[in-house]
Amino acid sequence: MFKFRVLGVAKPLQQREKAGSSAPETDPASLLPSTGAPLPRFGPVYDWAWFPRGARNLFSLPSLILCSAFIGFGGIVREVGIPPWQVIFMVPAIWALPSHLVLVAGIAAGASFLTIAPAVALAAMRMMPMTMALVPEIRVAGTKRWHLLLVSNLVAITAWVHTLQKAQEIPPRGRLPYFTGFALANMLAVTTTAAVVYSVAAVFPPILMAGLYFLTPLYFASTIWNTARFKAEHLALAFGFCFGPLVALVLPQANILLGGLLGGVFAFLAHLTVLKRQRVT
Amino acid sequence: MITYSSFDHSVWPFLFILIAGVLPTAVWRWAGVFLVGNMDEHSQAMVLVRCIATALVAAVIAQFVFAPTGALAQVPLWLRAAAALIAFAAFLIAGRRLLVPILVGEAILIAGILYLEVFPSTLL
Repeated sequence: MFKFRVLGVAKPLQQREKAGSSAPETDPASLLPSTGAPLPRFGPVYDWAWFPRGARNLFSLPSLILCSAFIGFGGIVREVGIPPWQVIFMVPAIWALPSHLVLVAGIAAGASFLTIAPAVALAAMRMMPMTMALVPEIRVAGTKRWHLLLVSNLVAITAWVHTLQKAQEIPPRGRLPYFTGFALANMLAVTTTAAVVYSVAAVFPPILMAGLYFLTPLYFASTIWNTARFKAEHLALAFGFCFGPLVALVLPQANILLGGLLGGVFAFLAHLTVLKRQRVT
Repeated sequence: MITYSSFDHSVWPFLFILIAGVLPTAVWRWAGVFLVGNMDEHSQAMVLVRCIATALVAAVIAQFVFAPTGALAQVPLWLRAAAALIAFAAFLIAGRRLLVPILVGEAILIAGILYLEVFPSTLL
């Protein structure tokens, strides 16, 4: 049942017409009237020619910043003393820098699994709305749920932002390959960077390492600000930034968990208050 | 208490990373795939989820500024805070382009570190 509903026929069709003018190949499915039933499919589901086109965008500013941020991460895991193969495993398998940071901080503190796992889960919560925003863009007639489950493991801020920005320029059948190509290229480059830095981190001067660590907060704060869908998220960013350190003064171990929860709830309450006022006037 | 160093077996650390890091992250992505079409993206519940998710990452960001580890811990707090706040202000003023906070923040941080190396303890 779900299979028929998820196809989202109406919206992709409009986009397909738009993209069809620029792309030489016209999708035969787009010629059929929208009935709400699953569309019959002709030819392959995806246009994999867009995979290398996505991968080529590795040479872009966001990818460069991401790799640089992972130079900092390579230094952190080295200080904590996590062996290189575990780093090479965790970087692509987790594939979300906030989760990496929370996990490594937990390991460094010798914390229990029961403390680390919920903290990592909350730090990764953004992956859910991000995936929900990406799926309608990359899904076409013929996309199976398992395709999406597989590709969703590549969702992280850099490739996500880039694909959403570029989606309208790419024919629908090329979007999933494009995203996959860009994300996998980033994954390979970032994992290599972290592994190489790990082996040479002692050679880097501290001033360079400090500069590279500092890229992470700058990059995340500005990207998250730009990708917010509601004004309340801007408030949540500010509240989380203030509440985290304030909670750390009282409960040093719970700053991210408690500070984040409080910040988010307060931002949401502010959002509700504004909504109520708008309804009254 | 099950920790990273609970067991001596060589596979244990990988298993620990899997259950404490990989799975707690991946479930949100899978949940996103299953919830598309079943959950209104503009519902109030979704706004709450986005607010908490954003604030949590913001708390991680704050840790870099207020309680960092490694090389950044050697930099005085006032310099980290000033570099971060001025960089973000520049970002908001200069059309929200990604390059602006990166350049401004890094320039202030590096210039500050160099200044303190040349004139130690002149400021704070």
